Amino acid sequence: MGNAVLEVNELTTKYITRFGENIYAVDHVSLKVEEGKSLGIAGESGCGKSTLALSLMGYYFPPLYYTSGQIIIDGQNISGMDPDEVRKAILGKEIAYIPQSAMNALNPTQRIINFIEDVIEAHKPYATKKEIYDQAKSLFEVLGLPAEVLNKYPVELSGGMKQRTVIAISVILSPQILIADEPSSALDVTSQKMVIKMLRNLMDSGLIKSMIFITHELPLLYNVTDDIMVMYAGQIVEKAGAHEMVFTPIHPYSQGLMGSIMVPESGLRDKKLTAIPGVPPNLKNPPSGCRFAERCKYVMPECRVTSIPLRDAGGGRAYRCILPKEFLMEAYERERGER
Amino acid sequence: MKHTIRQVFRSGKFVVGFSIFMGILLIVTFYPLIIRDAPLKIIGQGTFFAPGIYVNVYDSMGSPHYTILLDDAAAKRIADKLDDDDRQAIKEWLVAAGISEDAIEIENTESLLDLWVNNFDPTTRIPGMTNADRNYYIRLNTALDGLLSTEGAIVASVNPETGALEEKGVIRQTDYVNVNQVPNVRVLPLGTDNFGRDVLTELVQATAVSLRIGIVAGLIATFIGLVLGLVSGYIGGLVDDVIMFITNLFIVIPSFVLLILISFSIGQEQRGAFTIAVVIGFTSWVWTARAVRSQVISLRNRDHVNLSKLSGHSIAHIIAFDILPYIASYVVMALILQISSGILAEAGLSILGLGPRTTDVPTLGLMMNWAMIYQAHILGKWWAYFPVIIVIALIAFSMNLMNTGLDQVFNPALRD
Amino acid sequence: MKGYRNYFANKLIWFGITLVAAFVLNFFLPRLMPGNPVAAIVARLAQGMSNTAGVQAIYEQYAKLFGTDKTMLEQFFLYVRNVFRGDFGYSFSQYPRTVADVIRASIWWTIFLQFPAIIVGWVLGNTLGAMAAYRKGGFDKVLLPVSIFVSSLPAFGMAVILLVIFGVTLKWLPTSGGYGYDLIPNLSWSFIWSVIVHYQLPFWSIVLITIGGQAIGMRSMAIYELNADYVKYSRFMGIKDGKIVRYVFRNAMLPQVTGLALAVGTMVGGALVAEIIFSYPGLGSTILTAVLGQDYPLISATTLIVTIMVLIANFVIEIIYGFLDPRIKAAQAD
Repeated sequence: MGNAVLEVNELTTKYITRFGENIYAVDHVSLKVEEGKSLGIAGESGCGKSTLALSLMGYYFPPLYYTSGQIIIDGQNISGMDPDEVRKAILGKEIAYIPQSAMNALNPTQRIINFIEDVIEAHKPYATKKEIYDQAKSLFEVLGLPAEVLNKYPVELSGGMKQRTVIAISVILSPQILIADEPSSALDVTSQKMVIKMLRNLMDSGLIKSMIFITHELPLLYNVTDDIMVMYAGQIVEKAGAHEMVFTPIHPYSQGLMGSIMVPESGLRDKKLTAIPGVPPNLKNPPSGCRFAERCKYVMPECRVTSIPLRDAGGGRAYRCILPKEFLMEAYERERGER
Repeated sequence: MKHTIRQVFRSGKFVVGFSIFMGILLIVTFYPLIIRDAPLKIIGQGTFFAPGIYVNVYDSMGSPHYTILLDDAAAKRIADKLDDDDRQAIKEWLVAAGISEDAIEIENTESLLDLWVNNFDPTTRIPGMTNADRNYYIRLNTALDGLLSTEGAIVASVNPETGALEEKGVIRQTDYVNVNQVPNVRVLPLGTDNFGRDVLTELVQATAVSLRIGIVAGLIATFIGLVLGLVSGYIGGLVDDVIMFITNLFIVIPSFVLLILISFSIGQEQRGAFTIAVVIGFTSWVWTARAVRSQVISLRNRDHVNLSKLSGHSIAHIIAFDILPYIASYVVMALILQISSGILAEAGLSILGLGPRTTDVPTLGLMMNWAMIYQAHILGKWWAYFPVIIVIALIAFSMNLMNTGLDQVFNPALRD
Repeated sequence: MKGYRNYFANKLIWFGITLVAAFVLNFFLPRLMPGNPVAAIVARLAQGMSNTAGVQAIYEQYAKLFGTDKTMLEQFFLYVRNVFRGDFGYSFSQYPRTVADVIRASIWWTIFLQFPAIIVGWVLGNTLGAMAAYRKGGFDKVLLPVSIFVSSLPAFGMAVILLVIFGVTLKWLPTSGGYGYDLIPNLSWSFIWSVIVHYQLPFWSIVLITIGGQAIGMRSMAIYELNADYVKYSRFMGIKDGKIVRYVFRNAMLPQVTGLALAVGTMVGGALVAEIIFSYPGLGSTILTAVLGQDYPLISATTLIVTIMVLIANFVIEIIYGFLDPRIKAAQAD
């Protein structure tokens, strides 16, 4: 057991709409990322995974609000801290974020170096421009980015270059943990590979200690992360090691996700089309029972009665379903055999 | 489609704007069915009759008279002729004529009038008094004559044979008529204008005509803009360059300058409401063309358009089925804005004296123009121009609200 | 610097082209109308004139001015040459003043009224819009509908309302003219004071109208920018809100600057009509007199001058924009 870089206990956050309704997009989520490890979070769009990424930063702004739970980074509970304290001491320094579309993540009317100056000044008010420039330049060199980028405006950079620049800026203060929210989804395949490689490099070279990688593309997670969590309707429905999750998913929703994507041998493209029928529930009034019940092929009357807890499945695995794991795994095997 | 409409009607701003606009439309449609007067008929001999209920004096003599005894009737009658300013003026005159200030009781009507009747002499010269003041006092004196009398008035008519006056009846100060029993009563909720026309009836028709001008101008402008935008954006190349060149030219050359030049050149005789609408339409398409073009360019390489191209559909088919549905919301918003700016353009032109010729129909701009020429705003005749401004503002406001509502529905970034 | 130079050259060429186009339109539009313009004008002028010799004299004067005996192209070059000399002929409604005289007397009133008013309105409108977007809540809920309503009022409507409230009812400010009618323009304090007092109502009615439209535009732009990805990213990198707000408003302001360049023509048009309401001695009132007097040379010259003013304003704004937006430089340098 390494020591935990990030530990999250029962974190709940909500959106408040302009009509005053509460939407609990992250509902009692617990997770733990150890030093040197990476965690993948998967789910369809709208399942709350991006909100989880925002919530993990411990820095909330409307319409997202903190409700309850703990976020512990390196032994320090940041969920009770003063927001300005979080901004100064935690953001960028302890925990860094790479947004969903890095294409627009940089202020279009500012040179890259000026943005880096703003970032560093927010944490170290006494750094001189020269020091900042030197620091940025050496980091860019380490990461294989040309130093000229620093003096350019974002419009002058290609998509892949912009993405890698954002990653470089994110780690300039050597954070403990990096949260990457679909960093590659808008890029072409070559650029995607470069980004993934860059992220792996960051871990290997010790620039960051651990990473959370959020995506809707499961094959990507298998290659990048050690563990995988599947989210549905704001809750974790299953967690497991990457290998176990990909080859022996337990929860019907994970199975659906795998079944809809991960069948390389029979042609990925066709299978992508067999997505899980139906849409995630409206979180304004979440169902009282299992949230996946409407779309589940094994649904039973008792599924709809009370909420289902996350069950331990041994070997560090857990899943949220009332059916025994043996039944679910066998059913999945049988189905795969039929294909 | 159904879903979109439902969503649009969930936007509060759109609903408010839509309701105001429909309200105006309903009034414009049903008012002429109920009040069948010709809107430009001159009924008042004189300018700017104030809003109110006009009761025929001749008829009210013939209507049944009722005696109603009201304690404050006399006081009201006096107050109408002799207000506080008049009392003050009387005091000033008397003081200037040498009456001791202590002897004048300004609130005691009886003693004040007594002093006045006994002392006033139009020939008395008061030093420092202007001619206008003198005339005022003479007028006041006439008005006050018999004010305290409790006698009624005798109604007489001329005998056609003898030429002598014959008494027809006596009207006492306590006589009343029931308005409902007077055959000729005219309600003028907004009074009359400088020509003596019923402002409300005129306003309703002017609103209808202005709306029609706005709609014709808006449709023409949107149609030209849409066609040019589609062609320019979809075909691209040289066609695009040429169209964009012209569009950019007309964006910087102010359209109202063109409007003035064209309207003036057409000449007063030729300028009907419809012509004005067409001219406005032809000078205000540039924004739509630009907006449509940029939308089309962003659509032109989308997958579904490419698919349609590969399936061998004609350009017309692609534009109609693969492009138009996606820009429909923008086109509707552009149309709404064009209608309201068309109405404003007509109003501006009319104030310059370049509006539709004045003989057949009123428009909101013409009403404004007349009110301004006859100085209604300086003379305090608010009913001649204020309702016009309010109607123009309400139409534009309702359209802008609808537009903002649509914008928030179709551009979710603006929603919260 | 090369980038700016390209940008500047580009805009300058474009300015030249639009200027030529404005000339062409100004010349040809009235002449494209069916019929002989000279005959039509004389016919209008001659209404109620019994003196045939007078009508004939007018006709000849017009024919000479327009050079209707020459070809269209010759007429055009004659016109351009005359305009460049500042020679627009005689005004017919204010004969024997020349058109150039009439315009010289009114143009500065318009320039000193409209451009400060539009700029003040633009600045105030953008500030309010930005505040509405940032503060949201009650401020926004009140400001947005009020702005929409105010910007729905036509410029002349706002002018009349202000005039009636402050001029007629409260009698705080004079209702018409550019200075007291009993004064002769000079540099005395009483004259300058009179000018300042007469300036207020026209000025504020243009300002208020401009504020409404600009506030709405800025609010949308700022909301759009506040939701941009770079805002979220900058926040999560620990940058202070104050600094992020500065990013946002700078970026939201840029489209507002180009917007101003494109809208300045429409604004001037509305403001000219507002001038008429106040009988302000500017170009708006000149156009009105010209229209009422069927004074064709005066109308043609005034509209040309207004167009050129708008084109210059446009050009200046575009040049300023080039300095404000670094992307221009980047895009043009390639």
